Amino acid sequence: MHLDDEQLQRLLHAQLPSRAARNARDHLAECTECRERFVSAQQDEGRILGLLRQIDHAVPVVDPAALVGRLRWTTPPWGRWAAGIFLVLGMAGAAFALPGSPVPRWLRSAVEWVGGEKVPQSSGEPDPATLMAGIAAVPGPRFVIAFESPEPGGEARVRLSDGAQVTVRAPSGAASYTSTPNRLVIANAGTGARFDITIPRKAPRVEIRIAGTRVFLKQGARVTGAKPAADRGGYFIPLAPSNP
Amino acid sequence: MDAPEAASFHDHFTALFQVHFPRLYRYLDRLSGEPELAADVAQEAFIRLFRRGSLPDAPEAWLISVAMNLFRNERSSRSRRSRLLTPARSEAVLSDGPPSPEQAAVSEDSRRRVRTAINGMPERERQLLLLRAEGYSYRDMAEALDLNEASIGTLLARARAAFRECYEDPDAP
Repeated sequence: MHLDDEQLQRLLHAQLPSRAARNARDHLAECTECRERFVSAQQDEGRILGLLRQIDHAVPVVDPAALVGRLRWTTPPWGRWAAGIFLVLGMAGAAFALPGSPVPRWLRSAVEWVGGEKVPQSSGEPDPATLMAGIAAVPGPRFVIAFESPEPGGEARVRLSDGAQVTVRAPSGAASYTSTPNRLVIANAGTGARFDITIPRKAPRVEIRIAGTRVFLKQGARVTGAKPAADRGGYFIPLAPSNP
Repeated sequence: MDAPEAASFHDHFTALFQVHFPRLYRYLDRLSGEPELAADVAQEAFIRLFRRGSLPDAPEAWLISVAMNLFRNERSSRSRRSRLLTPARSEAVLSDGPPSPEQAAVSEDSRRRVRTAINGMPERERQLLLLRAEGYSYRDMAEALDLNEASIGTLLARARAAFRECYEDPDAP
């Protein structure tokens, strides 16, 4: 039994396991035909390798450390993009925040141009409304707003509104509130704060009390017990004990 | 990867590079006939291996597969990446230097004939012949070219026959 092409090539290229290689060599020693095929394959391969070397170019001298070193300093494309975006955003933020920078004005103009509405210009001061706290409640048929105590320097401004809720607002932390369906209690002791109160025009009866004393009554469309505020409309109620 | 692992990988990578870069380059150079392209692709394959951070089970086969993919892409786009090429590569390949006495003895006609023969071979046989010429194992060749390892020897015999035929009769269809 002769060696097949696979065995012959594997023997030639030292790709046979040792036992199989030994058997194949034993066979070659006895079989002239296979030996001639083997020698021919050897010569053929040697000749082809010689021809291939003719077209070789010099192997470049590359230092792996240098190659890797360059790689370490080379940011991948996505990294460059991300770095670029962060840089642009950072510069834009700095330009926006810089005192006297025209960027906020340009931005406002752009928003107005796109939205068609005038954008209010910020004065740079915080909006007082954002520092306010308060409570809202839907008034029952006989609703009472009760300040727990009179407060020197304190005042309440009352406005009628078209809304559905009674709202009470004061500077944040100035008071605490408790609400039930017919009663809203304001713990105002020691605050000296000004309270802004809105009462729905549609509410049938709403009264305001200070330490149990009624100082304001709205019944239907009629309001009694409070002076109309001269400056901005509505009613003015001093929370001081001497001015009930 | 902690520091000892990184150092170990780095050592293995360097050792692999020193042994296999010349083989991979020669294979690609013979395959393409373009030394610059071969150098680019071979380096890029090793760069990808380094970026991988660990050695695959069969690094040689992995490198061949990656290099072949890069080679096909590069050939189709004809784009060249030069930013990662080391100065050493540029000097060694781009100038190529004067031919050695051995090279000078070989006529340009003979080289052209070998190149024509290689280009005339079927793709699979060409790759097999050139990989074997660089001493790659049957296992690596089978894995890199997605072939059955048990038939690599037979395919190699056919590849040699195909080369011989193309070399001796370059005008044959």
